[in-house]
Amino acid sequence: MSAADRLRDALDRLVEASATERILISTAALVLSVLLGAVLVLVAGRMTTCTAGEAVYYLGVGFCYDPVVVFDRLFLGALGDPLSGGWSPDGQFSVTLRETTLLLFTGLSVALAFRAGIFNIGTQGQMVVGALATAIGVLWASSFVSGTVGTVVLIPFGVLVGATFGGLYGAVPGMLKAYADANEVITTIMLNFIATGVALYLVSGVFKDPNSAANQTVPLPEFARFPAVLFGGRQDFSLVALAFGLLAIGALYYVLEHTAFGYDVRTSGVQPEAAEYGGVDAERTVVASLALSGALGGVAGAMYVMMVLGTFQTGIPSYGFDGITVSILAGNNPLGVGVAALLFGVLKSGTTVVQFATDVPPQLVGVLRGLVILFVAMPEFFRMLAKGLPGRGSRREAVATDGGAVTGGGVADDEGGEADE
Amino acid sequence: MSDASADGVGDADGATAAEGRGFFERHTTRAVFAAVTVASVAALLVAGFLFPDSLAGTLAAVLTSENTLAAALRLSVPIAFAALGGIFAEKSGVINIGLEGLLIVSAFGAIYVADVTGGVWIGFAGGVLASTLLAALFAVVTIQFRADQIIAGLAVWLIALGLAPFASQVIYGSPNTPTVATSPSVSVPVLEEIPFFGALFSASPSVYLLFAAVALSWYVFERTAFGRWIRASGENPEALDTAGVSVARVRYAAVIISGVLAGMGGAALSLDLGQFTGNGPTMVNGKGFIAIVAYLFGNYNPIGAFLSTLLFAGLDAVQTVLQLQGIGVPRQLIRITPFVVVIVVLALVGRTRLPEAAGEHYDTEE
Repeated sequence: MSAADRLRDALDRLVEASATERILISTAALVLSVLLGAVLVLVAGRMTTCTAGEAVYYLGVGFCYDPVVVFDRLFLGALGDPLSGGWSPDGQFSVTLRETTLLLFTGLSVALAFRAGIFNIGTQGQMVVGALATAIGVLWASSFVSGTVGTVVLIPFGVLVGATFGGLYGAVPGMLKAYADANEVITTIMLNFIATGVALYLVSGVFKDPNSAANQTVPLPEFARFPAVLFGGRQDFSLVALAFGLLAIGALYYVLEHTAFGYDVRTSGVQPEAAEYGGVDAERTVVASLALSGALGGVAGAMYVMMVLGTFQTGIPSYGFDGITVSILAGNNPLGVGVAALLFGVLKSGTTVVQFATDVPPQLVGVLRGLVILFVAMPEFFRMLAKGLPGRGSRREAVATDGGAVTGGGVADDEGGEADE
Repeated sequence: MSDASADGVGDADGATAAEGRGFFERHTTRAVFAAVTVASVAALLVAGFLFPDSLAGTLAAVLTSENTLAAALRLSVPIAFAALGGIFAEKSGVINIGLEGLLIVSAFGAIYVADVTGGVWIGFAGGVLASTLLAALFAVVTIQFRADQIIAGLAVWLIALGLAPFASQVIYGSPNTPTVATSPSVSVPVLEEIPFFGALFSASPSVYLLFAAVALSWYVFERTAFGRWIRASGENPEALDTAGVSVARVRYAAVIISGVLAGMGGAALSLDLGQFTGNGPTMVNGKGFIAIVAYLFGNYNPIGAFLSTLLFAGLDAVQTVLQLQGIGVPRQLIRITPFVVVIVVLALVGRTRLPEAAGEHYDTEE
């Protein structure tokens, strides 16, 4: 059995767990991550300084950050404070939906690849490529049309451009994997760096907006951006884009479950030898899945440009990496991606509310992203917990996780000591 | 006991004989690649000597500069330490794709502890401790709780990518830390006067530490019972188990060693500059992933891994100089050359033969 087969086997374990169990595990992972996040907030609150008046006290110990406030802001704040009356969809709620829309696409991108047994960590880079191509392509095309016709023509065109270029960029690691046996985890991560570097070069040179100090392209005209239906107060979220995302969920679900290509993808992911024996062209499936995965990442980039920014700017937020969390949380199931994207959209949008309300750094969501993946990856841990076996397991985890950052002046083990065994 | 485990390794070799042809094919690709590299460098040097004003001349001058070797060694430190760590983990059967995360936490931890205590070496130890703790968590998750190694490794990376800037923001109010004192370089008298190779004898202490770690790792794998256990744990865990050695314990030890080694790399990286920068992909910027390619290219041999690291780091050193000199190619594009070369190398080397049981959980047969 080759290494790649083993990786696929490992994915199977995630895929084959029963649906109920998977939902339980994902929920437990999310809850546990949030609880650990609360501990982290408390620890961080001990390490920073604040006046006595600002501090909160638990069990007689003062903390600068209050996890209750943090998580109140994180969840209720992200939903636009539905409990306090005067709720309006224009507020933070639309930011949450905006994040959800983008995470839908990156989540679907990762999910498709993972279902084919391919670890596509390159959604971020594919998104960057798609975003840049959309910004340039739509800007070029916007000189030919205008008004409502312009919107109707340019938006599908922009999405198509993003999908094409994202797809081509995704096909590169696909071909490297299919024909040169190059491990896709490494190549996609390297291609992320390359995409960022090349985009920086292009946007600071040939395609730079001469009227802006930032490294960005010339902003798109208003008619080339997603129209803000219902959410008039905010220009950076569009129900049309969200509807498009929901459509993509349905489409990917249909493709995976009811088409010959979907069958090839799923069998390659679950049983590559059997798939090949059954007549599946393994190389072609690898390239096609990664290309389609890249196309979805590219669409996320197109959405980001045409809905959120209206231009391409260097430093695209890490939606691609969040997509890994979304997909893993969803058990790589397109329908699950919808729910997981909303949950993670709440987390991402809530983090900015938390940042306004408290001094807790927005990087908190980055930590939660990793923790969720870690917990979902170890179903065995939850099975053991469920059996009521080692309660000490979870405690050890918490200590080690915090220990990663909060280091004392301890003396490290010398490597020589280990070697003498 | 060690006889039995040695037999186990023998069995594994027998099992892989079927893949023998593939192995030789790879071996030639690797040899060809090395030969082409050496030949093109030689041709470049000759051309540069003949036409000193040409592009080749500029490149040759950069390549033969003692500063380039010094920079290459300095840039090698984090990658090579992480690669050594990766060898320990993967040879034992645990693929540690989270090396990048270990480098990030140790880079931050080292600066934080150095800032609090004022001691560079205490800071170094602090960085190593941070990485070791994170590696221990990874070990528990993959060995005790049978998490998928790749996904858990990604989680380690992403946790570190969030945690280090988070901690920096909490403590210093910015993802970048203030600067701390760095340790001066150590020079060997007389030897440092040698042209070009003098750079080997006038370097930061972490460079010497790296030389020692490479030699020690080689010794552990080739000459000690523990090294044989690690190999058996990755190639034929059943045999190791039969021989009465706990596979889980060997794997725990190997993963924790990988944490210690990667921690030395990360601590050296940030203490060398005296600062941790946590914007975007942080100052580690993919070095952990380059390390993985380095040890694959080095065929799991500590010395091979060090040499291929030196190739990547040398390239990085050259591109840094070229960015400053200006050779007509834009700076942003020169900067991505190491990443492109990593992909090319990976495509040429192709599938390296992973240890037989790497990536698999092992259940003790009781």
